[in-house]
Amino acid sequence: MASSVQSAHMEFAAWVGSDHLSDDPAVCRAAAVDGKAPALVVYPSTAEEVAGILRIAATAGLAVIPFRNRTQLDIGNPPERYDVGLSLKEMNNVWHYEPSDLTISVEPGMKLGDLQYLAAQDHLWLPLDPPGGVKASVGGMLATNATGPLGHGYGSPRDMVLGMKIATTEGKIIKTGGRVVKNVAGYDLAKLLLGSYGTLGVIVEANLKLYPLPRQRATYVLRAKSLGMARELRRRILATPLPFLRFLLVNPAGARWLRQGTPLAVESTKPEIWMEAGGSERVLERTQKSLEDLCREAGVSVETCGGAEAESVWNHASEFRHAVVEAQPGTVVVRASLPIAACEEFLSAAQQEAESAQAEFAALGSPGVGTVHAAISGFRDLGEAGSTIRRLRESAKQLGGALVVERCPVELKAALDVWGDPGDDFDLMRKIKAAWDPQRILAPGRMIGRI
Amino acid sequence: MNPPPLVRDLIRATSRQAVLWRKEDLLLYEYDALSALRQPEAVVFPTSTQEVVRVIRVAARHGLPVIPRGAGTGLSGGATVAERGIVVGFSRMNKMIEIDLENQRARVQPGVVNLDLSAAVSDAGYYFAPDPSSQKACTVGGNVAENSGGPHTLAYGVTTNHVLGLEVVLPDGNVVHTGAKFWDRPGYDLTGLLVGSEGTLGIVTEITVRLSRLPEAVNTLVAIYDRVSDATQTVAAITARGITPAALEMMDGFTLRAVEAATHAGYPTDSAAVLLIEVEGLREAVEEQTKTIEAVCREHSAREIRRARSAEERALLWKGRKNAFGALGRIAPNYYVQDGVIPRTRLPEMLEYTAEVEKKYGLRIGNIFHAGDGNLHPLIMFDARDPSQCDRVSRAAKDLMVKCVEMGGSITGEHGVGVEKNELMPLLFSDDDLAMLRRIKEVFNPSGLLNPGKVLPTGKICGELRVLASVGA
Repeated sequence: MASSVQSAHMEFAAWVGSDHLSDDPAVCRAAAVDGKAPALVVYPSTAEEVAGILRIAATAGLAVIPFRNRTQLDIGNPPERYDVGLSLKEMNNVWHYEPSDLTISVEPGMKLGDLQYLAAQDHLWLPLDPPGGVKASVGGMLATNATGPLGHGYGSPRDMVLGMKIATTEGKIIKTGGRVVKNVAGYDLAKLLLGSYGTLGVIVEANLKLYPLPRQRATYVLRAKSLGMARELRRRILATPLPFLRFLLVNPAGARWLRQGTPLAVESTKPEIWMEAGGSERVLERTQKSLEDLCREAGVSVETCGGAEAESVWNHASEFRHAVVEAQPGTVVVRASLPIAACEEFLSAAQQEAESAQAEFAALGSPGVGTVHAAISGFRDLGEAGSTIRRLRESAKQLGGALVVERCPVELKAALDVWGDPGDDFDLMRKIKAAWDPQRILAPGRMIGRI
Repeated sequence: MNPPPLVRDLIRATSRQAVLWRKEDLLLYEYDALSALRQPEAVVFPTSTQEVVRVIRVAARHGLPVIPRGAGTGLSGGATVAERGIVVGFSRMNKMIEIDLENQRARVQPGVVNLDLSAAVSDAGYYFAPDPSSQKACTVGGNVAENSGGPHTLAYGVTTNHVLGLEVVLPDGNVVHTGAKFWDRPGYDLTGLLVGSEGTLGIVTEITVRLSRLPEAVNTLVAIYDRVSDATQTVAAITARGITPAALEMMDGFTLRAVEAATHAGYPTDSAAVLLIEVEGLREAVEEQTKTIEAVCREHSAREIRRARSAEERALLWKGRKNAFGALGRIAPNYYVQDGVIPRTRLPEMLEYTAEVEKKYGLRIGNIFHAGDGNLHPLIMFDARDPSQCDRVSRAAKDLMVKCVEMGGSITGEHGVGVEKNELMPLLFSDDDLAMLRRIKEVFNPSGLLNPGKVLPTGKICGELRVLASVGA
């Protein structure tokens, strides 16, 4: 393979310019995925260059992994092969921005923070707070359909993408959708690319729907006395017409993560619910009053949290997945996707699993949509980590959900599919992969079923 | 008369009462809400997924395509027979299998009527958000096939935003399950790919949808204008104030007069245009937004702004809007409705262009549309008995679609491609784009058994010409 990389090297250099690629070992190591480094990193600056790189790679049978800021790159099975890192950091253009239409077309390398800064000039935003926060790139968020607590109020990238351009392994650039909010012409290929983790094509442009920024915001903390009470609160909250932007349920260790660096006191043994509302002053007054009434009935205290502290808390929520691993290498982070009603039960099961493994356990859940991020650290050995993951996956399944291992030591990944078992639609997925990427050059082995 | 072998096989796959095959029984199934095409060889009404599987196998054995059909309210010919085939009607697969309020989900068979689903959960404070104008008749299965919209999709999204999982029968008889009851199942989003695929990728036999909370408060406003351009300029001005109304509809004076004559909803007949605006949500937010919208309308020279004072008044205004296509049927023997989409800021320009097209071809065009989404429904009035009119209608329609594409829009926002616009897909898509769509189709439907002649161009006669010719037939 090394020789075919070398011969392709010239072609890549001719295509993007020799100053837009590097085989410096340090550069390649920095582009490693699950410990595997590519032989070359290329930095295309146009959609055509991306397409050309894929064409050259496909001809030479070289495996390519696209990335930008690496905020989601830890998710996936280890790549079966990895020859060329495709860095999209030079693709930051805004091709079209029409505030009155609430639409924007950007290149995949643009960072969420830069997009938010631009849109905020017109009191707009893209209401996403994925893991990695403002550092996440548009391409990365879309390729992984990444969401955070804002998913409660706004949904996922799936609900915000109006159209895209995709570079295919044949070196073509195709388009799907458009710049308008309704469009049913042709199959919705954008849905296929969202959450495909770079295994079908490379998103080279995305048309996104923007939303008005809430005029004011307020954050509330509810101290539930138990997970049972958290469930009761969730039921009551979801039965109100109050349109919360974020709704987070955290266990005590999760609460410590959120509150770090703020003067907010931590109750060490109880779960907490964090909520954010947005709107006019009157809307916020009403929200607070309704929430207070609801909590009084349930016998739970509610506090409001100030602007800077609230911001810090929500930032910590976005950074959670990365920060826990940085703080303690070897930490396993799983994401359970569950029916809404099963959220608290899963948290309780996970807590028990962690306790029986004598491991530390921090969890952030979105009970309004049914996802839980759980970080477990301090396993005695890899074997125990693996068996804990398997048991957690089993309990997610029994509750009618599924579990993805988002971060874990790479050695563990050899023994388990981080995505879990595929369903009866897997054969279609496999055929789609074969139809779009017949040489399996795009992130081979990384997606479900090591596709 | 003895049933032919195909019919005998279909009866064996289902039951005697489930198959229509006599010519007079098949007549109705030539049609959808667009026009008539061909008679199917038979119509079959399965009652279960297993029966659908058996029907598919019979069809494959006889080398006959299968055309799934809900209520036949589609506007692009998707449920009609392009060449030959067996229509699979879903009116007997109309059970709500599971309603799970705590999880905000319902699992339904495809034949469930859209409005019935909302009605079944409204007492508990929920509804199914997509609300096509045909929602009293159209089915959830049809909504999935077409990725249907409706007036309230402005705030809540179209069908695809509310569907989480599907059970699908593939042409080889395999049954697969995509998505899940929960969010974001690992793997490719095949649900998202199947919604809006117009029955060309698989036959959906079960649908898991999201149920939404009914809003606490609703205000419905009618803003009345003496100039069309004032109304169209109001649209983007409302969104510029940070307000996303639940619905923002426009009707021009010509359409209004027809609607009023048919429905007596209280629309002014002497105005140039009205906006029908609805805001929903928290009581306080609705009150504030209503005031802001009223101010914006006045800034744009609205002659008068009315608020619906009761649920009845609101219902009547919506009845007028949702029955508008029918009302225009009183004016000319035929109409041809378009479904183009443009960025909403281009509405003023687009309506001027529509007026030019009207003049150029000597046709009357009514304008009624989802203004907030930029989703236009120009209704071209004509008499299909006059071939020269058909030709002009066809050219006018094409001009309008080309303009939509030039503005960065689409040739269909919610009605689908069907047999009507499949030959116009190259306006929007390059050969490379279409090639990748074809590969998807080959994965799901390699033999072409499912709903052939729809969505992708066939290279034959322009779909819309064929459709227009058949309208008068």
